Amino acid sequence: MGEQKKEAIGAVAIKMADIVMECKNLWKTYGKITAVKDVSLKIQECDIKLIFGPSGSGKSTFLRCLAMLTSPTKGDVFLKGECLTKEGIDLNKARARIGFVFQHIWLFHHLTALGNVELALRRVLKLPKKEVKERAMQALRDVKMEEWAHHYPAQLSGGQQQRVGIARALTRCPDIILLDEPTSALDPELTGEVIDTLRDLAKKGTTMLIVSHEMPFAREVADEMIFFDEGTIVEIGPPELFFTNPQSERAKKFMARLIKKTRRE
Amino acid sequence: MFEFLIEHLPEFLNGLVFTVEITVFGVLVGLALGVLLAIGDLYGGRVVSTIIRFYVEFFRGSPIIVQLFMFYFTIPGILNIQLGRYVVGFLVFSLNSAAYQKGYIKGAMEAVFENQMTAALSIGLSKVQAIVYVILPQALRLVIPAWGNEFCSLTKSTSALLVIGVEDLTAVGKNLAGLTYRNLEVYSFVALIYLAWISVMLKLFDTVYEKVKIPGIEISA
Repeated sequence: MGEQKKEAIGAVAIKMADIVMECKNLWKTYGKITAVKDVSLKIQECDIKLIFGPSGSGKSTFLRCLAMLTSPTKGDVFLKGECLTKEGIDLNKARARIGFVFQHIWLFHHLTALGNVELALRRVLKLPKKEVKERAMQALRDVKMEEWAHHYPAQLSGGQQQRVGIARALTRCPDIILLDEPTSALDPELTGEVIDTLRDLAKKGTTMLIVSHEMPFAREVADEMIFFDEGTIVEIGPPELFFTNPQSERAKKFMARLIKKTRRE
Repeated sequence: MFEFLIEHLPEFLNGLVFTVEITVFGVLVGLALGVLLAIGDLYGGRVVSTIIRFYVEFFRGSPIIVQLFMFYFTIPGILNIQLGRYVVGFLVFSLNSAAYQKGYIKGAMEAVFENQMTAALSIGLSKVQAIVYVILPQALRLVIPAWGNEFCSLTKSTSALLVIGVEDLTAVGKNLAGLTYRNLEVYSFVALIYLAWISVMLKLFDTVYEKVKIPGIEISA
């Protein structure tokens, strides 16, 4: 957005700046199947929102629509007030401002941990060599992986790989980080280290939208929880509400099951 | 017996050098073209991909001798041009190799494709950058063993060049055997040279493959 335009909008622009990401009436359909149904959501600076819900309810698809990794069928996505769904927008540039962490991690197999983190700095932001190295190492330090910088993904444990995945998403200083079940592909004992990393990020005020079923973690860090079912938001509210008295029947049932499962573990 | 062969060694070596030249040229141009064809087939849409499929079917579905004749006689006849026999040799071997290599490369790209592409886009790379920095470095590593086979089969196919009068190693042997009637020695020696050269090259491919292998990832051939 040009400086002039920003000024012209004036007060509105200032108010908008608080909202990092927003979607309005977002739909995603595959043929006759509707994966995301009319979802609207606002995420403010330093917000941590946590999406949970049954598998196959469209949470991942929703996250991918927000990151423009798949294009929404209908509706708009805004990143700091800029519409990402209008024609002619440079999607690569937009994606560079959004961090994404995948359930199955998906590191680049042929690059070391450091190489994975450096790639975007070198090829997208095109920073000078020295700065690339410094920033990449800093990101690895943030996830406590600096000792493993020169190891390849296949030489790391799942938890370590996911921490590198987080560093890869962090290193560009994106406006927001979207995390798609970052711990669900990991053994329970490896989940802890990733959760610790996320907790650190939360303390630093990173804006995050996380799909997760780690309930103790959710209760601790989330500003708001979102119950997602059948492609849409069923209920949204502070964690305490969900843990004590969910409003909708479906959320009630789902929470009961989840809490039971967490206790068993 | 050995003196006779040693006497003619320079001719054999000349033949081998030509065989090597045309093979290396064919494999390298074939690689470059093969990569483009693979990308075209994966991304080019239906029309491009159909054209590429026809091209590949032609070169994989007909004998190389027929291809040499077509490019030496038929096509120049239709277009009313003249192509030198060496030009035809280099051309046919490159185009032929590209058709095979496209298959290997496309397969390897598909093997690393989907999730690596998504991850690459997610960090802000463009599709082209993703192919260059993420997909190809992995795919080309996977292709190396198949590349060794391609090199091997192309080396042997060069003997077909004698149908358009280009002298490679086999042709040198054939001429010499015709002059001296010492078929046994000459052809054994020719076979031995091929064998030695191909063994060295396969070893080299193995070494390169081991050298550039991604640590921790085993690929069963």
